[in-house]
Amino acid sequence: MAVHSESGSQEKKSSNGVNELLTFNAENMQNNMKIIYYSRTFLSIIGGVVAGILGFTGLKGFVFYLLLMAVTSVVLVAKAKFSIQTYFDSWNRVLLDGFLGGLMSFVLFWTFAYDIVHIF
Amino acid sequence: MALGFAIGVFGVLILFHAAYSTIQYRGLLKITEEEFSGPPFNVVIELSLGLVLCMWAALTVPGKFLSIHPDSEENRIVSLPANLDFMIFNHRGKVFPVEMDLKLKH
Repeated sequence: MAVHSESGSQEKKSSNGVNELLTFNAENMQNNMKIIYYSRTFLSIIGGVVAGILGFTGLKGFVFYLLLMAVTSVVLVAKAKFSIQTYFDSWNRVLLDGFLGGLMSFVLFWTFAYDIVHIF
Repeated sequence: MALGFAIGVFGVLILFHAAYSTIQYRGLLKITEEEFSGPPFNVVIELSLGLVLCMWAALTVPGKFLSIHPDSEENRIVSLPANLDFMIFNHRGKVFPVEMDLKLKH
């Protein structure tokens, strides 16, 4: 039987109050958080470009961003096959993580696209 | 994953085409001196299509979710490393409950 080396991917970390797991695989947890971060950032940028093209100004744009993030949360939960316990340790991570960082990217690309399409 | 990437690029191209159409539409409105109330209907359709395609790409390109249970099927460590002299087995893991019906996997 061939041996292969495991490079310390199984870290023990326990937390109380949010999950019932005594310990979880931290490297896979980081991988899942990275996936969520990439998805939300990319969709914030795309949503910013769409809001700029549609000509939203003021509050309508932020409402559009909230809707987009809500749809993203639903779709991410669907990607996790609705069993959050298998892939994350709390619901807050998959629903709220990356929200404010995505907001800044959204506003940046929103103003950028609005300027290009409607002003110049 | 390459397919997801291609779909994402295609969605971004559709968005650029919609932006160009809107710029031309605004040029037309400047000529006829009307006000801009919203892009034409086919541009809205194009934007929704591009948004759906980019959403699909944002889900499939970054990768799959991995299970974080240490005792799930794909997280098992079934063979020992070669540097057995440096492995410690007398650690705090002995307080975890023991599964007596695990099978060896080759």
